[in-house]
Amino acid sequence: MMQTDNALEAAMDALLLADASALDGKDMKGWLANYSEEDESSYICRSAENSENGLALGFMYDDCRSRLEDRVTFVNDIWAGTFQDYRTRHFVQRVEYRRVDAATISMRSNFSVFMTPTDSGITQVLAAGQYLDTIRLEKTGALKLLSRRAELDTSVLPRYLVYPL
Amino acid sequence: MTETGLTWPKNVNEIPKAAFTRKDIYAEEMKRIFFGQEWHPVAHESELPNPGDFKTFRLAGVPLLIARDMEGVVRVFYNACSHRGNQLETAVMGNKTEFECPYHRWLFDAKGDLVGCPNHRDFLPGFDKSDYPLAQPRFDSFFGLFFVTLSAETEPLPEFLGGSQNTLRELLGGDGRLKLLGYQKVRYDSNWKSYTDNDGYHAPLLHQAFKLLNWQGGKGRQFTSTKHGHICFESALSVVSGPTVLKDDSLIAFKGQDPAVGSRIVSLFPTFVSTKHLDVINLRFATPIDEETVEVHYAYFAHQDDDEDMVRHRLRQSSNLLGPCGLISMEDASIFHRIHIGNHTPGNAIFQKGVHDQSKLEAEFLQNDESGNLPRWEYYRSVMGFERAEA
Repeated sequence: MMQTDNALEAAMDALLLADASALDGKDMKGWLANYSEEDESSYICRSAENSENGLALGFMYDDCRSRLEDRVTFVNDIWAGTFQDYRTRHFVQRVEYRRVDAATISMRSNFSVFMTPTDSGITQVLAAGQYLDTIRLEKTGALKLLSRRAELDTSVLPRYLVYPL
Repeated sequence: MTETGLTWPKNVNEIPKAAFTRKDIYAEEMKRIFFGQEWHPVAHESELPNPGDFKTFRLAGVPLLIARDMEGVVRVFYNACSHRGNQLETAVMGNKTEFECPYHRWLFDAKGDLVGCPNHRDFLPGFDKSDYPLAQPRFDSFFGLFFVTLSAETEPLPEFLGGSQNTLRELLGGDGRLKLLGYQKVRYDSNWKSYTDNDGYHAPLLHQAFKLLNWQGGKGRQFTSTKHGHICFESALSVVSGPTVLKDDSLIAFKGQDPAVGSRIVSLFPTFVSTKHLDVINLRFATPIDEETVEVHYAYFAHQDDDEDMVRHRLRQSSNLLGPCGLISMEDASIFHRIHIGNHTPGNAIFQKGVHDQSKLEAEFLQNDESGNLPRWEYYRSVMGFERAEA
């Protein structure tokens, strides 16, 4: 299945925006739906400082599909009612991509996330960084995230995180 | 301290909320506590395992450089050139055999000796490089955990740690032979005392996770050591046995050898909280930024004897369990913020659970008693010179 670059780029951007939209809408099931159903699908959120120093530890380390599903449970069920909620706005921009094989693409994008706590109403930058994604071209023609690493320039977060970045 | 005009309540279980919010009190805390007679953990030597490894850290604003020399000796320096005081190293961590100040090209080795400075014939007559090593604060270590004190009068480290030594040793894997997994760093909108008051002590009612995970606390004890009011928790683990809502229950699995040393918390005055829970070994290097903000560097470790599977398990568990986004700790972070907002109201915070007599401090507590924090508060009061009200 070959797509033209234009169609492929549009599909990759649609995936990026679908993720941003799900997160900003606090739609964790929608967030999960952007990931491949494969067992090894993963989301890891980690400071670039750790990565550059060979330290694998992350802020979030969901390295298999079960953990992605558990992340939805954390937010929707386990943490409900315990935190000060905040709005986010994700700004994302594809920077480069590369076809790895017929069914796989690697993509790098910039992101910045604004945060507005509902109690203070003051907007500030929550984090900036880049997404390092592996995208699966599924048989249906859909594009899904096989793996995403949110690599944060922000090594010191201004707040605890409830939602994935 | 009469000039601050803060009178401390008569009852030992009441803490004036103004102590958390007033700028003048914060300034006095800097003098009496952070530059006073306390030891502050700044690094574990396993964060810099190889010759030439270094880490920088700011303790109450003071820039520090912790460096391992080529012979393997770890030392703590002020991270400022001995010439004009320019910040010497800007990286948070790395590996260097020499540190060069870009301002006048003064060059220091990892022992802190000045080994080069261009054009020194233009300097004061009799200038001698050996008179200008990097300055050092007092430091000492305990099973690889390096402490700094900014006062010449502070008691020796073993006395400062007192009866918390054994719990801390157990927490450090029994022998301090750790391996760094990485960091989670965060700033909380919270006075440093609200952070330390609520980080070690855990209200089980807060944690919805415990209920949903079918997880009961293990049997344990909480006790205070030394006049500083350090708090130690020692609990056996009760591992989840029934059904859980998690699809990947390795997050809450215990793969260590001995459940009796499953859970340890050591909270040292003024800001250090460390914990070993399940297979997570976590040292939290915290420093106040101002009266409204505390910065916490959560450092996570494996043990040097771990096999590859165990390191991987610790990495996966550490990332998701106890930090600023952790399954059973994210709510704590929220409490730091909310307590701090609430502290901007008049009156006192009142401790209840485990308090038997409002006129008496105790040293042994039940695991979930809030009263374990009170000896530390009494020490704080005395160091700050606040007088207790008579009635």
